[in-house]
Amino acid sequence: MNWRNQTVFVTGATGFIGGRVCERMMQAGVPRVRALVHGMHRAARIARMPVELCPGDLQERESLRQALGDAKVVIHCGLGPSSTIVRGTENMLAVAQAAGVQRVIHVSTAAVYGITPPPGSESEEAPLRQTGDAYCDNKAAAEKVVLDYGKRGLPVVILRPSIVWGPYSAWSTRLMDDLRAGQVAFIEGGRGACNTTYVDNLIDAMVLGLEDDRALNHAFFITDGERVTWGDFIRAHMALLDPVPDVGEISRAEIAASRGPSSGLFLGSVKAAARVARGKEFRQMLMQIPLTEAAMKKAWSYVSSLPAQKRERLRARFGVRRAAAKPTRARFIPDAVTEATQSATVFFSIEKARKVMGYEPRIQFAGGMKLVEQWLRYAAYL
Amino acid sequence: MTEPVRLAILGCGAITRSEHIPAVIAHPGVQLVALVDTDPARADALIQNRGLSCKAVADYREVLGQVDAVLNALPNHLHVSSNLDCLGAGKHVLCEKPLAITAAEARSCTEFAAAKKLVLAVGMNRRFAASHCLLKLVISEGLLGSIQDYDFQYGGAFDWRSASGFYFDRAKAGGGALVDFGVHMLDSVIDWFGPVTGFDYQDDDWGSGVEANFFLGVKHTGRFGDTEGQLRISRTFGLKNRILVRGSEASAEISVHDPEVVVIHRRIGGAAVSQTLRLEKIAGGSSYWRQLDNFVQSIQHGTQPEVDGWQAVRVLELIENCYAHKRRIEEPWAEAGSETGPESRLEAGAEGSGGKQAAAHEART
Repeated sequence: MNWRNQTVFVTGATGFIGGRVCERMMQAGVPRVRALVHGMHRAARIARMPVELCPGDLQERESLRQALGDAKVVIHCGLGPSSTIVRGTENMLAVAQAAGVQRVIHVSTAAVYGITPPPGSESEEAPLRQTGDAYCDNKAAAEKVVLDYGKRGLPVVILRPSIVWGPYSAWSTRLMDDLRAGQVAFIEGGRGACNTTYVDNLIDAMVLGLEDDRALNHAFFITDGERVTWGDFIRAHMALLDPVPDVGEISRAEIAASRGPSSGLFLGSVKAAARVARGKEFRQMLMQIPLTEAAMKKAWSYVSSLPAQKRERLRARFGVRRAAAKPTRARFIPDAVTEATQSATVFFSIEKARKVMGYEPRIQFAGGMKLVEQWLRYAAYL
Repeated sequence: MTEPVRLAILGCGAITRSEHIPAVIAHPGVQLVALVDTDPARADALIQNRGLSCKAVADYREVLGQVDAVLNALPNHLHVSSNLDCLGAGKHVLCEKPLAITAAEARSCTEFAAAKKLVLAVGMNRRFAASHCLLKLVISEGLLGSIQDYDFQYGGAFDWRSASGFYFDRAKAGGGALVDFGVHMLDSVIDWFGPVTGFDYQDDDWGSGVEANFFLGVKHTGRFGDTEGQLRISRTFGLKNRILVRGSEASAEISVHDPEVVVIHRRIGGAAVSQTLRLEKIAGGSSYWRQLDNFVQSIQHGTQPEVDGWQAVRVLELIENCYAHKRRIEEPWAEAGSETGPESRLEAGAEGSGGKQAAAHEART
C-alpha cells in the first residue's frame, strides 16, 4: 500500500522505538502522525515534532478508538506491563479492524523463543514453546492473536527484532553507566550472540512490511544480519571511554558458584532489582528493557515487601554490595538476567525477510556505533 | 503598625499548594482573604487541609472589592487577562512566571500597572534563593577576580505530570524548555551579569512542536564588562544541573540540588581547594516567603519590587528573539538513519513516487 499519503498511528510512541518511528514518519513526509500517549510527561521527545499527541491506553478500547481517529496505518510498538501485552494487542487489533485499518505492523520480539533461545530457533519455522518468562510468553501469545486477526482479513505483518539499539537506547546508556561503575563482565569471553537490530534497520523493515503485500500474515526475524557478539558490543562502548575501563572475564560456572545452589533467574533478578532500583535509570529501564521488566518488577516488589532485617540478610546472601561500602577489589558478578541474555548462542537468520520482502540491513554495526557515539556525546553520556 | 495586606490567591494548583500557601501562612504581614479556583472543591479542600479561615470562590471578580492585592498562579495563558482585571480594580499583583506568553502582553501589563501606580511583581523565586543572593555578592565583591565566563546547564527526563498536555502545546505554553525553565535561567544571569547584548540560539524543535533541548550562547555587557555564557536545558537527558562561573582567581558553583550554598573552587599554592559558602542569616523559611515579603514591603513602602514587570518584558523579548533567529540543533544520527540519509540503499531500490516525495520533504527541511 502507499502509506506515505496516509495518517499513521503509532503506539508506544513515547518509547525508544516508537519515538524513532515518529521521527522517520516525519522524515518520510507522511501528512499526519498520530501518537498514542499513555504518560503525557514522557512525550518530550516526540512533542518536538508536529505529531498529534493522542491520550489513551491500550487497555481501554474507547480511548484507543478516539486516539486512532481516521488513521489507516498502525505501527504497534506499545507494550505496557507483561500481563497486559496480550489484551492490549487484542484491543488495538479489534479497534483497527472496526475502523477499516489497511495495515498493522506488529512489533514482536525474537524473545518469543526465550531470553536464551534454544538451538534450532535460528529460523522462523521453529515452533514456539512456553519459556516460563512472562514477557516472552506473553509476546508469543500476542503473536497468535495477531495471526488470528490476519486470518479474519486484517492486513498484519509481524516483525521480531532482537537487541534493538541505536540513539536513545537503554542498551547503550545503561552499558555506559555500568562500565563507569565497574558493573560489566565478559561472560564466557563475551562470545554470546548479541543479535543487534539497529533501530533504523527495524524501521526499514516496517516500511517494507507496509509496502509489500507478500509480507502479510508472516513473522520475520529482523537483525543487522551480522554476527555481533556481546563482547563486540561491550568493547565498542568501552572504547568510547577515556580511560578505557577494565572489564574482567567470568564463566557461567563461576557465576553459579558465586551464587550458591539456590540461584536461578528469579533469585538472580532480586539482585538485579536491587542494583537497578538504586540506578538513576530505574524507570527508563523498566520501560525500555522489556526482556527483564516482569522479573524485575516481581523481584523488586518481593524485596521491598520484606522487613529490613531480612532484606539485609538477602543482600548479604546474594552478594549485592551496599552503595556506601564498596569493597575495592570485589569481583563483579553479573545478575542472572544479564547472564541469560548474554549467553545466547543462536544468531537469528534474516533470510526470510530478505527473500519475502527484500529486507537488507542498511546500517552496519560499525556505522551504527558511530551514530550512537555522536548521540551519546550530544546526550552528555560522554 | 502597618495594616496587613489583604490577599487573594488565584489558582489552587501545585505551586499554590506546595509553596505559596505555606509562605502566606508564615507571613505576619499578610491576611489571606480568599482562594480562587474555577473548581471550588479544590479551593475548599485546601482550606480544610490547612485549617485556613479564608473563603473559597470560583471567580476572582467576586473578591476584588475585599482585597488589596492578588497572587496570580493561574495557567500561563490566563495571566494577562486576569492581571489587567485586577490592576484595573486597583489591586497590586504578584504574578507567577511567565508574566505573559508574549513580550507585548507583558509590556501592556507593566505599563498599565505603572499608570495606575500599583505594584506588579513577577514570581521569580530563584532570585530569593540563598545561593542566588550569595553568588551575586561573590561576583560583585570581586572574590573570583575578573569574570571570564559561565556555564549553566539543567537537564533530566521531563516529569511534569500534566494530564492536559498543556506543556507540549505551543499555543498555550508559549514554547518549550526555553519558556518553561529558560525564563528562570535568563532572569538570573541578567541579574548577575547585566543585559544580554548578543546571542546564538539552537534548539531541537522539528517544526511546530516544542523544543526539548536548547543551547544558548549569550554575551552580557554589564558592570563587569563583557561576559560570555553558555546555557543548556534538556527535557530528555540528564545534565550537570549546575552553574559554574569562572573568574581569573577562582570559580563559583551552584548545584541545583543545594539551593542554599555556593562552592568556591580555587588553587592555593598549586593545590586545588574548595570552600562552601553559606549565609549565616537569611529571613523566612523559603525563597517564596522572601518573594512574598518583598512584594508586601513594596506595597507598604511604595518601593520597586525586586523583580518588576520590565525585567520580565526584557526576558520575554530575548526569548522571542531567540525563537525568531533559531537554528536547528544538528542531529546527524537522525539524518543518517532516515531513508534518504547518506547510507541509504533504499533510494537505489524499487522506490515509487513516494521516494521522491520523501526526498523533496528532506530538501525542504
